[in-house]
Amino acid sequence: MKRGLPIVLIVVVVTAVLIVLGLTVAAPTSAGTVGLVRRSGLPGFSSNADTPQQAMSNFLVDVQKRNWDRAFASLERTSQALTEKQFEQEWTGANGGLRSFSSLEAFDARPLHATDSDAQMRVRLDWATPVGPVEDVRDLHLTKRGDQWKVVWNETPRPNVPAQVVPVNYLRWDLVTGSASGAEWGSHNVDAPRVRILSMNAVDTAEGAVVMGEVVNEDTIPAFVNVNATLVDAAGNVIDDETSFDKILHVLLPKQVSPYRIDFPNFSLKKVKNVRIDTKATLVPASSDPVIGVMNQKLGQDAQGHAVLQGDLLNQSGQTVNIPHVIVSFYDNNGKVVWVSDGYVEHALLPQSSEPFAVELPKSLAGKVQNFHVVVNQYSMENS
Amino acid sequence: MRTPSRFMLQLLSGGIVICAAAMYSAAADAAPQVTLNASKATPRQVEPLTERAVLRDYKSAWTSLTQALASSSLDPLNGLFEATADKWLTDAVKDQQSSGLSRRYLNQNHQVDAVFYSPEGDVIELHDTAEYDLEILDGSKTIHNEHVIVHYVVLMVPGAERWVIRHLQAVPQF
Amino acid sequence: MSWSISTVWKTLRPGFWVLSLAVSALCLTVALCAQDITLQAPSDAVAGKAAKIATTGSGSAKFYLLGPSTAVKRDVQLGQDIALAPDEVQSAGRYVAIVCAGSCANADFFVAPGKPVSLVFLVHPSRAPVGKSGLISGVAMPFDEYHDLVLTPAAVDFQLSAKSGTPVSHAVETHDGAAWFRISSGKSAGPLQITASMNDVVARRVVQQVASDPCNLRIKGERTAQGIEVETDPVRDCDGNPVPDGTIITFTAKGGDETSTVDAPVKKDVARARMSAKGPVVISAASGVVMGNELRLGGQ
Repeated sequence: MKRGLPIVLIVVVVTAVLIVLGLTVAAPTSAGTVGLVRRSGLPGFSSNADTPQQAMSNFLVDVQKRNWDRAFASLERTSQALTEKQFEQEWTGANGGLRSFSSLEAFDARPLHATDSDAQMRVRLDWATPVGPVEDVRDLHLTKRGDQWKVVWNETPRPNVPAQVVPVNYLRWDLVTGSASGAEWGSHNVDAPRVRILSMNAVDTAEGAVVMGEVVNEDTIPAFVNVNATLVDAAGNVIDDETSFDKILHVLLPKQVSPYRIDFPNFSLKKVKNVRIDTKATLVPASSDPVIGVMNQKLGQDAQGHAVLQGDLLNQSGQTVNIPHVIVSFYDNNGKVVWVSDGYVEHALLPQSSEPFAVELPKSLAGKVQNFHVVVNQYSMENS
Repeated sequence: MRTPSRFMLQLLSGGIVICAAAMYSAAADAAPQVTLNASKATPRQVEPLTERAVLRDYKSAWTSLTQALASSSLDPLNGLFEATADKWLTDAVKDQQSSGLSRRYLNQNHQVDAVFYSPEGDVIELHDTAEYDLEILDGSKTIHNEHVIVHYVVLMVPGAERWVIRHLQAVPQF
Repeated sequence: MSWSISTVWKTLRPGFWVLSLAVSALCLTVALCAQDITLQAPSDAVAGKAAKIATTGSGSAKFYLLGPSTAVKRDVQLGQDIALAPDEVQSAGRYVAIVCAGSCANADFFVAPGKPVSLVFLVHPSRAPVGKSGLISGVAMPFDEYHDLVLTPAAVDFQLSAKSGTPVSHAVETHDGAAWFRISSGKSAGPLQITASMNDVVARRVVQQVASDPCNLRIKGERTAQGIEVETDPVRDCDGNPVPDGTIITFTAKGGDETSTVDAPVKKDVARARMSAKGPVVISAASGVVMGNELRLGGQ
């Protein structure tokens, strides 16, 4: 015991010294150099924002730690109408949107250019969401005020939708299953909805094999649709089978067409002789509402130079769409589906409002795409 | 050699002879042999995949029926029967449980013909000429043993994952 | 001690013969003691009707009856008829009757189905687009009171009647216990009543005849302050039947390098959508795989 006490004291003292050093020593910088900013997991303390990267780091750390007061105070706002609450909602989400269930896991900020009073940084934000990791890339502008750099926030507040009554008189379908007891064979016959595969295309990619195409509901009632694909080798043996999972518009209204995409990670089509496609369609209650328009769609490039299809979703109904999910089929000049992409919109789509979306397309295919078709899957808490 | 040892050896040998003469060959039941000819089904032609599935599931059904009636247990039935076929088998097994009877179907050979396949493919009728050894036991005692050829009319319907027997009815002739 | 074959055989031989003689004597005794039991099974048993099995011999015996849904054991008196209760022979099929008194005797017999009291009637599809050849089919199978399939050939009368038009009748004899039909769907949407009848046994089904794919899909539109309001003419199939409400019409507006689409449901025969486009725009509509006309509107 007597021998142990000095050792314990030494350990405690060394630990305290290391903590103090860790908290107080700043990263070495030299004047005029704009460096990388990276943070993940544990947040760190902020210090004076005397460089653009320090200002960016402070800002993003405050966002990650949800220090909204400090983050908002550190901004240079272009619109004085923006309130702290609106700024906070931009980061935390609202109205049950995907962002409401997400957390900022990590960020990475790289300098684009800088002068003595102005800087531009590209920020990559890694969000953990219920639908998987989502990456958001933004270009943020910083400006020097006195001896402090500030992030310029030029987001304007979202327009308020005026209060109004929106009649809902679109058709809805309910499902009555009927009682099974005493049912005669064949007396309770309601056929499953008729769906048909319109096209199928199997390609090899760097990540594995992909089977994609389009499916149509040929029936007069809604269908809950899943598409399965089975890869078969030359001997007739099954190599693998997968389902479309969320890369399909699951609830297809009558005569509605949806893309589908089935991924086979780490498989190559070299050993595949046959692809068997199987659709499963079941009866499901559904509603024609909400109607979502997909406006201003065009192919372009995002800030990182990736080929994207971007546009705006317009909610033409009176119901909030909490989590919109965009699925796009891309066609070549023969009308063949060459790719299917999807992406979730992080903010809820309010009634009579619009939200932008962007869905990436592999660069190698961008030149081949002549046309595209966008459908919107949607999750509304009111309907769940 | 001493007399007691010789006597013991004789007794043991005699016992072996009696047991061999009386012993029932309890070799594990071979799986039923089933062949299916779907070429004569009308009005709809049986698709090759359907033919394979019907053959596979019919064979599985007979395997589970055999096990259920041999062990007087409902466990082997396993969703391969529905409606009337399931009810009849369940009643038979329950009767066997209360009476202590059981029956064994041995050395089964089924020659099956598909004779009717509905236009929508929702029911298929099979004619099964089944040849097997039927053994009936009261407890562990065999009370009946015969080699038979029985004609079955079978209705099978497509279930969620397999074809199931909805009706299994023996008839004097087709 | 040596274990050669000849040594072992010499040792075993006396015991072997003694044992064999003992077993033979036992079997002979049993055989001499056994009765001459016979069973006479019913020749025309019908499902659910009491039957009897005649026996010879005397004394008590154990009776066993095994059938498709039966496994019965009880004590009986030989020389008397064994009564089979209706519920013991409810299921049509092969039965084995066994009587044991010392030795066992058996007889097998078939129970035939009773007269048909119900028709299983399978009709597909439950929803049929109009004007399609050979689309609607049905299968009827007669069953007796105890759900036995009646295989005796009998006539089934299929009658089909739509809202408009005269009823159509079609008689088919069952073969292997099944009768079937196939017809084309009519030209008018609405319920199609189908009955299958065999004497006084009737089964009814309804097939909803629904509009086929839209035909001559036409759209019209105009610019308003809110954007471009576009709507279809009443959407009908090629036989003039209005497509059901909820059918999706996809409107597409292409102007410059931008495209806008709206999937709008038909409501009271017409689908409407509001689209946004500033410059000259070409608007088209599609439903499933059917394309409509194009509409060109100038810029604002």
